Amino acid sequence: MTTTMDAASMRTATIRADGPDKVTGSGRYTADLSMTGMLAAAFRYADVGHARVTRLDVSAARQIPGVFAVLTQADVPDVRFGPFVQDRTLFCDGTVRFEGEVLAAVAAINPTVARQAVDAIVVEFEPLPVVHDIEAAFAASSPLVHADWASYGAADALVREHNDASMSSIVKGDAASALAGAAHVVSSRYVADASHAAPIEPRAVVAQWEGDKVTIWTSTQVPFDARAGVCETLEMPTNRVRIIVPHLGGGFGGKCGFHYEAHVAALAKAARRPVKLVFTRREEFLAPDRRREGMVIDITTGVDSDGRIVGRTGRVLIDNGAYTADSGFFSQLAAMHIAGPYRIPNVDVRGHLVYTNHQPSGSVRAPTAPQCCWALESHTDEVAAAIGMDPVAFRHLNAVDTGAVGPSGQTYDEIGVQECISRAADMIGWGSELPDDEACGLAIGWWPSFSVPSGAYVKIDGDGAGQIITGAQECGTGAVMTLRSLVADELGMSPEDFQLVYQDTSVAPYDMGATGSQTLFNNGRAAVGAARQVADQLRALAAQHLEAAEADIVLAGGQAHVAGSPSVSVSITELAGIAAGGELLIGHGSGEPPGAPELTGSSCVGDVGMAAFVAPQFSCHAVRIRLDRDTGVVRVLDVAAVHDSGTILNMSGALGQVYGGVMMGIGQALTEVTRYDDQARQRNAGLLEYKLQTCADAPNIATHFVQIATENAGPNGAKGLAEAPNVATAAAISNALARLLGEPVRQLPMTAERVWEAAVGQ
Amino acid sequence: MSESRLINATTLAEALAAVANGARPVAGGSDLVVGARQGKAPLPSQLVAIDRLGELKGIEWADDGLHIGAAITHAELESSVNVAARYSALADASALVGSPSTRNVGTLGGNVMNASPAMDTGAPLVVFGALVMLQSTVRARTVAVGELWEGPGRTSARADELCVGVFLPSRPAHSGSAYVRLEYRRAMEIAVVGAAAALTLDADGLVSELRVALTAVAPTIIEVSLDGVAGLSVADAARVAGEAASAQARPISDLRANDRYRRHCVGVMASRAVGAAARRAAGETISVPVNRALGIGAAR
Repeated sequence: MTTTMDAASMRTATIRADGPDKVTGSGRYTADLSMTGMLAAAFRYADVGHARVTRLDVSAARQIPGVFAVLTQADVPDVRFGPFVQDRTLFCDGTVRFEGEVLAAVAAINPTVARQAVDAIVVEFEPLPVVHDIEAAFAASSPLVHADWASYGAADALVREHNDASMSSIVKGDAASALAGAAHVVSSRYVADASHAAPIEPRAVVAQWEGDKVTIWTSTQVPFDARAGVCETLEMPTNRVRIIVPHLGGGFGGKCGFHYEAHVAALAKAARRPVKLVFTRREEFLAPDRRREGMVIDITTGVDSDGRIVGRTGRVLIDNGAYTADSGFFSQLAAMHIAGPYRIPNVDVRGHLVYTNHQPSGSVRAPTAPQCCWALESHTDEVAAAIGMDPVAFRHLNAVDTGAVGPSGQTYDEIGVQECISRAADMIGWGSELPDDEACGLAIGWWPSFSVPSGAYVKIDGDGAGQIITGAQECGTGAVMTLRSLVADELGMSPEDFQLVYQDTSVAPYDMGATGSQTLFNNGRAAVGAARQVADQLRALAAQHLEAAEADIVLAGGQAHVAGSPSVSVSITELAGIAAGGELLIGHGSGEPPGAPELTGSSCVGDVGMAAFVAPQFSCHAVRIRLDRDTGVVRVLDVAAVHDSGTILNMSGALGQVYGGVMMGIGQALTEVTRYDDQARQRNAGLLEYKLQTCADAPNIATHFVQIATENAGPNGAKGLAEAPNVATAAAISNALARLLGEPVRQLPMTAERVWEAAVGQ
Repeated sequence: MSESRLINATTLAEALAAVANGARPVAGGSDLVVGARQGKAPLPSQLVAIDRLGELKGIEWADDGLHIGAAITHAELESSVNVAARYSALADASALVGSPSTRNVGTLGGNVMNASPAMDTGAPLVVFGALVMLQSTVRARTVAVGELWEGPGRTSARADELCVGVFLPSRPAHSGSAYVRLEYRRAMEIAVVGAAAALTLDADGLVSELRVALTAVAPTIIEVSLDGVAGLSVADAARVAGEAASAQARPISDLRANDRYRRHCVGVMASRAVGAAARRAAGETISVPVNRALGIGAAR
């Protein structure tokens, strides 16, 4: 792995605070927890794709010795919930809409008895037509996945009809006329299959009641969302539900959202015992409403005789699966991603979020982006090829730039996408001669920074030791770990002076969680705000102690000193001791989230706020691949990943995000696919047949960060970085492959079998 | 979770007695335990551990060939000088199995008796004409490896017989072998299709003897019937073997590949195995496994 960076950008590469715990095994994950009298939970799943439940009899299960509770929807409040569309219930509502639907839950003395009880539950079904093809589901003639869709509560902005849970468009100018007048028009169709986040820790939940309060330990990326879900479905106020997340064993979006916390809490209440649920790998694949959505993507682009894009139309059909999880914004975000970071005067792109009987889709790292970018950037190379233009030159000509207007009518402040293209092309050796079985490909991508509320406290106790008490959630990105550097910088202390208290909803203020690459962007703002309050307190104390003006006090190196007179100082530890006998050193921070940029000249139907990108992040990935033409096996040899994610606050953490995002992108490009039978059931719900990339498959990854100031960026000019590296890799591989095959492989992943079929023209 | 009784055998006689009484032998457990966890088959009610039996742990060179104990692991095969030098295809295959931890516990005997059509060590054993040594409390016998396998997970061994070892007959001078497989990633992988070739060159560098066997294209490992390859150039023999492999394969379509793709690729693998075997026969050193030495999926 190589990295190029400016000296200024080589900020602290700090050792993660949670690293030693995780590496030595002293850190505890949810499944490690054990409590006196704790019971084991198990679920009875539907195992069919679409059916009406005609009989659900749990009486035999309840009679089994060692069974403490068996619950169905009849045993919990009658609440229909969902963040965008209130289309589901905790347990099956009488109609099974996907195989992982929970019909009943059991708490028993041990997992064996729990399993016996699950097997003793009697279920009978009347089959309903299975809706599993996205295009067929979108047709007006399709059977409905939700017969009562019109009666469901939903976010006001959503435009819904039949199986379309969210239609969203971005329209600017007159695309039809622009295409009619274009010198060249290229139309392409691409199909992306579903895939999975596949975190290595299958999720676990432990719930314990004390009186009317419940504490839930859970492997979630979003503890406050989990709390909201419990409060909504079990009808409780937020101050009686406490969510604690022990170390989280990976998420990649798969653990965003509210999942099984309420099921386990309800079991624990009914059983009057603590209850623990631990998923198997198979359950982790089948049940949660978090799957990377399959898509059918059509794009048409017109260019003038100089190669300038004059118009684009596009449609994305997104497989929503059986329920609308956090996917309500996917249709608009997908529309943005097929419009792309290009200067296009005339745009008409739309997305549809289509119900099927598949597992529900939900945010997996950069939702909608890798598939749409793969399609758009493959299409972009097709357009460039049609007019005989070099793909790099075509992108330089058409990509957005500082001061340019993007497809949704946003005018960009300082952005680095053009430099990303130049750098990536240079780093991969664009244009150099290669053996017959090798080629380079390149693609650009973008991703918004999510501007949302967030909070943190900072305190320094009497011995000078600090704590950052934050609502933020660490899911392996290192973002929470980096808060220590931000706070330490404000206080003239070192990161090691601070311990993190986090992942506990009853201790810290709200944060959206490890989702949307937002942790440093928003919680960094909050933590800095809290630290500044403590800094003010320290300066006031020091001013008194040193008999100087507050404004002249400098906090540095663990000392407070008078500006210009470093020897006139007092240690922060001493000041903390003084404060411990008077007004305590406590700060709180949140800060106003930056507002959305203005859009001009465009109109959006079904607008959920995704057409305006706050502090947008840009990237260009270039790859060199080798193709085994006889088998279709592709090996990625080199990747150049160049990112404009603003200021890099922690270089080792940032590189980790890029390496991981690239590897995930290679998996999506070549091997990761969830396959279904004709009853909408998964056929490869396990890590033997779901092919993640391994370390042995890793290419050389060279990284460069274009660090420029962006309006409305986060602390010290940082933007997000957790998802951006997962956007453009598959697209770059596709374009390299298309150069070897003569045209793109139009289905994702581009498996060896599909590549071979494309190569032999079948 | 059903309960299983585990006997830790300290001698082969004890192990054979336990097997005669219905216990299922377990060495590395890499098929048995994983299969039970995946719900393919519950753990047997009685198990006898044979992984520490010294009688099953040797790799011994004799004038007529190589004796390999049934409890020899893939990692031991991969690093055995005798195996790597004289039976390179078996070392190639052993080095590709699963992960380092699978290779550290999984054994040749377990692999042979599990009788998976996707087993990597199977095709090499066939091209070497391996004999499998079966033993019970009352008898010992040897079976040609090709006659042992009857279908996926099925062998001709009797219920009271334990596989105690495998014998590989010695190879003529100027022989070489190789095993290549199609794989979608470079670790933690299972064969999509694979092929082993064992070949001997004559003084003119032409093929005098060639055997080819195939992985994951039939209910068992199959040997390719090759007529008239003696006297062919290596390039012609590779082409003939590839065509014959594709023609004789009886692949299925499943999650890993469709039948058409399998049929095509097994021919590619067979040709590449012949090519690599010939280079080794000619004295060239190609490190184990060939898949890594020559490029993913097989040779470039």
